[in-house]
Amino acid sequence: MTDAGYVLAAYAVIIGGLALYTGTLWRRLRSARRRDDEAR
Amino acid sequence: MKTRVLGLVALTAVVAVTLVALFVVPPDRNQGDAQRIMYPHVASAWLAYLSFGVTALAGIGWLWKRDLRLDAVAHAAAEIGVMFTAFAIWGGMMWGRPIWGVFWQWEDPRLTTTALLLALYVGYLLLRRLTDDPERRATRAAIVGIVAAIDIPIVHFSVEWWRGLHQTATIGSPDRVLNPAAPGIFVGTLFGTLAAFTLTWLYLMIRRYQLARAELAREEARRIDVLMSARTAEVAR
Amino acid sequence: MSNLRTEARVALAVARKDAVAELHGRHATVSTLFFAAVVLLLFGFALGPDAARLAAAAPGMLWLAVVFAGILAVNRLHLLETDDGALEQLALYPVSRRAIYAGKALGGFAVMLLLGVVVLGTVGVLFAVDIAGAWLPLLVTVVLGAAGVAAVGTFYAGVTVRLRAREVMLPLLMLPVLAPLLLGAVKATSAALTGDPFGELGAWLQLLVAFDIIMVVAGAATYGYLLEDG
Repeated sequence: MTDAGYVLAAYAVIIGGLALYTGTLWRRLRSARRRDDEAR
Repeated sequence: MKTRVLGLVALTAVVAVTLVALFVVPPDRNQGDAQRIMYPHVASAWLAYLSFGVTALAGIGWLWKRDLRLDAVAHAAAEIGVMFTAFAIWGGMMWGRPIWGVFWQWEDPRLTTTALLLALYVGYLLLRRLTDDPERRATRAAIVGIVAAIDIPIVHFSVEWWRGLHQTATIGSPDRVLNPAAPGIFVGTLFGTLAAFTLTWLYLMIRRYQLARAELAREEARRIDVLMSARTAEVAR
Repeated sequence: MSNLRTEARVALAVARKDAVAELHGRHATVSTLFFAAVVLLLFGFALGPDAARLAAAAPGMLWLAVVFAGILAVNRLHLLETDDGALEQLALYPVSRRAIYAGKALGGFAVMLLLGVVVLGTVGVLFAVDIAGAWLPLLVTVVLGAAGVAAVGTFYAGVTVRLRAREVMLPLLMLPVLAPLLLGAVKATSAALTGDPFGELGAWLQLLVAFDIIMVVAGAATYGYLLEDG
């Protein structure tokens, strides 16, 4: 793999990982808040 | 909502800084394109250490004030910290392969310390998961988080010693990007990445804290449910 | 009002109680020693049969065996408490938490010291390294290493004593924290065995001393919170 490959791999995982985590965080928050509303 | 604005600003900053780091900054004279990895790598490492500092301080706060909100902060910081630690290690490995020729270097104190950091805080998160009672969980987590934080400088110091006694010339050292005498565009991009990532960290911390509070409330509600149904069953007899 | 002498007396009482219980169940200690020996044997199979390679790896194998067996030892010392709720009873007494921690750690230290010495001798025999020539620095290293493992192990055994999946959580929490101790002890042992060609023995021993002091203080300061919340 050329250097560019490693650079891409690094950025893809880090930036992609941030995006993924943010997405799952939103989903978990939505689910937790929805259950709160249902419980009332 | 202010948090949403923060999120948008962070997103814009991250996108901007990534584009600059990949396409605007020239390749390094010695390290070539691989040097670009240093920006998110250093930023991730910085946020990992910041997170675990917060975890330890919030833990101390819990032991002192017994406010579960502080424990929620500790939990949020630990989870986000583990993520950034993983990023830092990954970045270090992706940088290491083209520069050192290997993915891993035992003599690099930063890499080995970060690996241990990951182990320490994954253990912290598992410990939390295995304790159901909120107060006991908070106490256990707090003291484990504090001891872990104390261990980190010892680890770093001892690994540096380990390396120091086997001085080998390394053509590429991660330190170079932190050198203030470096060309302005490198330093500027580094600080830009640090700022963008820190804003992202802040946004994620707020959201994760909100999630922790929501989950705490749900736990509490469930416990009350269990008590109420037990009570109702008793009365019905 | 606890003063230092009362605390010391409490610590010794706790340690003596554990020691008596240990002596009655001698088999447990002996089993731990044999476990360490088996670990060394397996290392021999895994890294051998070249004698030179084994001799070079001896310090590492020594301390890994000590640490692994140490996990079992500290785990057991805390099991003694859960069986009849003794830990909660201890907490009811108006004694300093620090003293209780010190007592348990002292008991752990005694076991670890025995373990260290036995493993040292076994390593000398199995991997043909000259223990006798450097017995003093080796003994000092064993004492310091045993203290560190006892301090950290006692602390985490207390954390995990009533935790689900304790068998895996105790080593998972303990081992990363022990990394600097492992490093220091192995380097010191290696330096002692090779006649300290780089003059690094002192530095590594200092690291061990610093680690021990820091961990004992941290453990003593925080152990009390465990007793309050269970």
